[in-house]
Amino acid sequence: MIRKRLIVLFLTPAALLYGVFFLLPTLFTFYFSLFDWSGFGEEMTFIGLKNYERLFSDRVFWLSFRNTLTLLFVGGFFIMGLAFLYTILINSGIWGKKFFRLVFFLPNIISVVALSAMWAYIYNPRYGALNTLLKSLGLEELGSTLWTAPENIFWAMLAALVWVFTGFFLILLMAGVDKIPPDMYEAADLAGANLWQKFRYITVPMTWDVMTISFVIWIINAIKMFEFPFAFGLLQVPQQLYTLGIYLYVMGFGKREPIYQLGYATAIGVVMLVIAFVMIVLVRRLMRRDILEY
Amino acid sequence: MGDPRGTHPHDTRSAPEAASGAAPAGEIASGARSTDLAQTPDTLTPDTLASPAASGNGASPEARGARRQASKDGPRATRSRLPGLAGRIVAYVLVWGWTAFTIASIVWVALSSLKSKREVLRSGLALPAEAKWENYSTAWNVGKLGEYFPNSIVLVVISVIVILAVSAPAAYVLSRARFRGRETLTNLFVIGMAIPIPMLFIPIFSILAALRLTDSLTGVSFVFVAISIPFTVYLLTGFFASLPSELESAAVLDGCSDYQVFRHVMLPMAMPGLATAAILNFIWLWNEYQISLVLLNSPENRTLPLGLYALQNAMQYTNNWPGLFAGVTIIIVPTILVYAVLSERMISGMTMGAVK
Repeated sequence: MIRKRLIVLFLTPAALLYGVFFLLPTLFTFYFSLFDWSGFGEEMTFIGLKNYERLFSDRVFWLSFRNTLTLLFVGGFFIMGLAFLYTILINSGIWGKKFFRLVFFLPNIISVVALSAMWAYIYNPRYGALNTLLKSLGLEELGSTLWTAPENIFWAMLAALVWVFTGFFLILLMAGVDKIPPDMYEAADLAGANLWQKFRYITVPMTWDVMTISFVIWIINAIKMFEFPFAFGLLQVPQQLYTLGIYLYVMGFGKREPIYQLGYATAIGVVMLVIAFVMIVLVRRLMRRDILEY
Repeated sequence: MGDPRGTHPHDTRSAPEAASGAAPAGEIASGARSTDLAQTPDTLTPDTLASPAASGNGASPEARGARRQASKDGPRATRSRLPGLAGRIVAYVLVWGWTAFTIASIVWVALSSLKSKREVLRSGLALPAEAKWENYSTAWNVGKLGEYFPNSIVLVVISVIVILAVSAPAAYVLSRARFRGRETLTNLFVIGMAIPIPMLFIPIFSILAALRLTDSLTGVSFVFVAISIPFTVYLLTGFFASLPSELESAAVLDGCSDYQVFRHVMLPMAMPGLATAAILNFIWLWNEYQISLVLLNSPENRTLPLGLYALQNAMQYTNNWPGLFAGVTIIIVPTILVYAVLSERMISGMTMGAVK
């Protein structure tokens, strides 16, 4: 029996730290977004929902919004697709399963700044690895592409992100597949099921919950995306790379010059939270099904 | 993400993890000094001590096959195997393609850190003609990573210790005590995982400004602890919930107070979970850079990721790629070392919540 005193004693430190430095700031975001506020220590003027109205007609906001959604859907499509494909390939009985899992996950433990430095070198137009490789394969024209030119830079960044996150979701999916009882596949074999049928009627339904959680985790990660595109864009992050998180930072703190539109920036934060929650609820709805017994 | 994990399947553990889980059993018995407890280790088979962190990934195919006794000719035959030789070749080519790219990129960065400026631009994947270790001293002294390294170490180590010190008791109470509002409170802790960090930039800055803690590593460590609590509490709640309750009741019968039960019985058993939480938080906070970017201004307060970011920006003008790569190597070596030794534990910790 755990007494009340111990319960209070054990919960208080965590609740205090979490409350003051996480929940409170989250609530403040909503509050601040209702103000015109042009700098820390400056006077705040209440303006109601004006910041949100302004967002509607802000071209750069919509650009960041579109980039974030592209990241979420296009990035998500490739990440989940590749993670699933590689889960199946690595589980197909090839030698070295643990080793492959280890290497696929590796980018996730490396500093994003280090990764962005590495990718900057890979994409370097003149002596980067990608163009050197393409030229050595005889693809002269493709090998002279400016991968970080304005029209390509977002996709170049996205490709690097896909590389990082595929490994993350691969280990989740593999853990899910590992939990499928092998006798299910045996029974299917005895019944003469082919590869597609086994995938469709065993693997997919049995990993449904892991997939749902993977989607939710990806939604959260995509919507809060800040670090990688920010480091990838270097000192003057080009607008093509703006995500909601980067635009929030730029409006709040500026690039080289401070901007300090603090109220406006927090309104972007509220939008991020709302999209995240709407998307999560939506995915959970769409993926809901009867609990599978086995 | 919102649903707290109650039970975890106890049937998947690899041998090394079972061993590390079984180890605390002895400690418990000696720690509680009770005859009842001294007998209980009999019941502590690896299966009853199964840790949630080990679920999912822990099981080697062999162990799984043996336990389920599913197949006579080895577990591999039961996997959805690709048909024929062609299929297997395709699988190897695709998997090796990805793997080779990942390894080559990292090795290439490490190799380039030893080349001269000129060599980096010309020689591609070739080995450096002669190892230029002075790139490291440039990054360390001129790039000042030597100053940022201790900042990072102190900040991250202290933060991780505080995270565990506050999260473990909270998770214990949330998973094993009975009181009203327990589920609501658990959800409140866990919901932090879904909150996008950038939305905290401005309010965090203003709260720390009110506490006069902006531009200080102390301020950053408070925020580090706060943002790490949701996942840590979530992971440890699942862990504590999966521990057997027999020992708990035995200790209570022997007159242990509730605090002693936690300190001498449950905490030692949760050590594998605490270790997993410590490793994961170490890696994340070591690499963390958005909060530090917002909160730290003075160059002398920079953490390694911020220092590397500055180095990368400067590189646009100096074109000193090898110096940048030396910096990259300095920052990734600690995490790669930890990963090389503890990857299994990290991966199972990551997947624990997702796989029920």
